[in-house]
Amino acid sequence: MIRTLEVDGLRRNYGERAALDGLSFQVKPGTVTGFLGPNGAGKTTTMRAIFGLTDLDGGTISWGGLPVGRAERRRFGYMPEERGLYPGMRVDEQVQYLGRLHGLSAASAAAAAQRWLERLEIGSSSGAKVETLSHGNQQRVQLAAALVHGPELLVLDEPLSGLDPLGIETIGSVLTDRARDGCGVLFSSHQLDQVEELCDEVVIIDHGRLVAAGSVDGLESAGQRRLAVRIDGVRSAEWAAGIAGVTVSETARGVSRLVLADSVDSDEVLRAAIQAGTVTHFSYERRKLSEVFREALA
Amino acid sequence: MSAAGDGAILAAATAIVLWRRRRTRARSPKPARRMGRGSAHPRPEIFEIAMREINERVRGKIFQVGTAVILVAVALAIVVPKIGGASSTAVQTVGIVGPAPASLKVAVEIATAASHDRARTVAEPSLSLAKQDLRAGKIDMAVANGQILVKTAIGAKASSVDPTFARALAAYLGEAAAGRNLGLSPAQITRMSLAGAVPIRAVEQSPPSTTTATTTIGIVLIFYFLSQYCTWILMGVMQEKSSRVVEVLLATVRPIQLLGGKILGIGLVALGQATLIVLFALGVERATGSSLLSGTQPAFLVAALLWLVLGYAFYCWLFAAAGSTASRQDQVQTLVLPLSIPMVIGYIFSVTVAVSGHASLLFKIIAYIPFTAPFSMPVLVSLGQAAWWQLLISAAISLATTAFTAFAAASIYRRAVLKTGERVRLRQLVGEGGRA
Repeated sequence: MIRTLEVDGLRRNYGERAALDGLSFQVKPGTVTGFLGPNGAGKTTTMRAIFGLTDLDGGTISWGGLPVGRAERRRFGYMPEERGLYPGMRVDEQVQYLGRLHGLSAASAAAAAQRWLERLEIGSSSGAKVETLSHGNQQRVQLAAALVHGPELLVLDEPLSGLDPLGIETIGSVLTDRARDGCGVLFSSHQLDQVEELCDEVVIIDHGRLVAAGSVDGLESAGQRRLAVRIDGVRSAEWAAGIAGVTVSETARGVSRLVLADSVDSDEVLRAAIQAGTVTHFSYERRKLSEVFREALA
Repeated sequence: MSAAGDGAILAAATAIVLWRRRRTRARSPKPARRMGRGSAHPRPEIFEIAMREINERVRGKIFQVGTAVILVAVALAIVVPKIGGASSTAVQTVGIVGPAPASLKVAVEIATAASHDRARTVAEPSLSLAKQDLRAGKIDMAVANGQILVKTAIGAKASSVDPTFARALAAYLGEAAAGRNLGLSPAQITRMSLAGAVPIRAVEQSPPSTTTATTTIGIVLIFYFLSQYCTWILMGVMQEKSSRVVEVLLATVRPIQLLGGKILGIGLVALGQATLIVLFALGVERATGSSLLSGTQPAFLVAALLWLVLGYAFYCWLFAAAGSTASRQDQVQTLVLPLSIPMVIGYIFSVTVAVSGHASLLFKIIAYIPFTAPFSMPVLVSLGQAAWWQLLISAAISLATTAFTAFAAASIYRRAVLKTGERVRLRQLVGEGGRA
C-alpha cells in the first residue's frame, strides 16, 4: 500500500526553548525528501518523534491517514544521527538481529542481511566485529540495519556525513533505488550538493518551524529571476553593486550570480557588464539549492 | 530440588536447543524470494532480545573462563577432602615385644575398625630393639609391658601415629588388663570390648539441617550470581546507551521489552550456570564417592534456587535503572557501590550465621527484607529455623516489592536511557516531568 507520512503541528519544548514549533510537512512514497535546516533547527527531534523516541507537547504524526504507532514503526527504517550498533557484535549477526526484531524470520533476516551487506559493498566484512570497521563502513552497516526488513519508509539522520565520495555514491544510489521501489525516504543533511542531486523534494525548517517545502525543481524555479555573469578577468561583482534592484547572491570561480527585482531590465545589467569588461557568459539560471536554503532562512 | 531443578534444567535445555537451531539457520541462509518481510514464524521481540543476550554472554570469554574456574573450584572442594581422607587411612605398624597373645591381635583389629586404618604387627625381640625401630621410623608404636610406646607425643606434627588408632588400642589393652585382674576369660574380655556405646535418642524430632559447608557454599554462590549477573545488566544497559544502539532498538521495541529481554536472557544464563554447577557437583560427588554434600537437605537446595531467582528478580531492576543513568564506564563503580552494600551485608551476616549455627532475632528479621532475604532465608532453612509458611511470607514480600521496583525501574529506564551526556540524576528525571 502506498502511504504518505504526515507530520502535523508538532510541538516540543525543552524548558523555555521550543525545539519544534508547530512543524508540519509530508513525506510522499516513492520520493527522496531532503530534510534541511541549520544546526538546532529541530531536524533530529522531529525524526526521533516519528519513532516515539521523544515525547511531544502537541501535534500528530500519521502514516496513510492513521496515527503512527508501534506496528507502523516496525515498517519504518531508522538511522539515527549518533550511530547505534553493538561494537563487539559481528556485522552479519547485528543486521540479522535487527531484521528479526522487525518481524523477519531467522532465515529471511539472514538472507536479507547478506543481500544488503553485499549491495552496500561490505559483504566481505560480514564476519567482522563492528568496532573493527572504519567509520564509513560502520555507516554502511548502519544503513543495512535500517534496510534489512524492507521498510516502506526510511528516516535517516545525516546518512552521508563523514563518507568519502564513493561511499556517498553507493548510499545515494541505494536511497534512490528504494524510492524507485515505492519507499518514502526522508533524510537530513548539510551537504546541499548531494541533497540537490539525490532529492525529489525538500523540507527546510528553522527554529522548529517550516520555512520552505516542495519539489527541488519547483523551489529552484521559483523566486526572483537570477543571472549568472562571467566577465573575463573580473573576479568580483562590484560592477553590479550600483544597479538598483540587483543583489549579488554569490561569486564563485569568476561567475557572479545576481538576483533581479521585477523592475530590473536585464539589458541594463548586460550594459553594465560590458562596461566592466569582456562578457564571456550571461544567462538566466535557476536558483541553486544552497540559494533556496539561504533565502528561506533569511 | 526436584521441581525447581527440573524447571531450571528444562529452561536451560530449551534455550540451548533454540540457540543451536538459530545458529544452524544463520549459517546456511536460504535465499529470500524478495526483499521484505519474512512470513515464516517471526519470534516475539522479547525472545529475540533474550536470545541475543544468551548468545553474546555464553560466547564471551568472561563467562566461559568464569564457569571453568567455578567448576574446577567445585571439583577441588569435593575431591581434595576425599583425597585427604584417603591419605589418612594410614598403615599403622605395631611392634610387639615378647609373645603376642590372641587378645593382642583382637585389640589391633578393634583399633583398626575404630580408626578406619590398616595395621600390621611385627615381633620385636626386645624393648631396646623396639625403641631403636621406633626412632628409625620402622614401626609407629610398640606394645611392651602393658604400655604403648611412641616416638613423639601423639598429635605432634612429626608423629606418624594415628591418634584414633592409638587411643582405641590403648583403651582396649586397659580394659583387657582390668578384665584379666577381675578373672574374666579372654572371650569375655573381647565381648565386653565389642559391646559398643548405648544409643542416644532425642525425645522430640528436630527438623533436618544442612551441613555448614554446603550452606556456606550455597550462600557464596548466591552472592556470586547476584553480584555478577546484576552487574552484567547494569553494564549491558550502560553500553547500549553509550553506543547509542538503544535508539535504534527503541525505534522498534518498547523499553519494557528491551529491558525485560535483557533481564530474562541474563537471568537464564545465570540459572543455567547455577544448574550446571549443582549437577556437576552432584556428579563429581557420586563419581568420587565423596560425602561432602551428603548432609544437604532438598529443602535447602529448593530454598537456595528459589532465592537465587527471587534475589535476581529484585536486584536486576535496581541495577538496570542505575545503568540507564550512566553513559560511561567510569560512572559504573559509583552506581554499583550503593546497590552492593545491602547485598554484602546480607552475605556476610548469613555466612557468619551459617558457620556459627546461631541465628539471632535480627537475622530472622532481615530474612523478610527483600535486600537481604536472598541470603538469610536459605540459611534459616538450612538451620531448620524457618517453617514453610515463613518462607512463603518472605517470598511474597519479595515478589510484591519486586513488582513495585520493576515498575519504578522501568519508568526510570524509559526516561533516562535516551538522555546523553552527563550522568542523569533522579531530580532531572522528576524535573523533566518524566518525559523522554
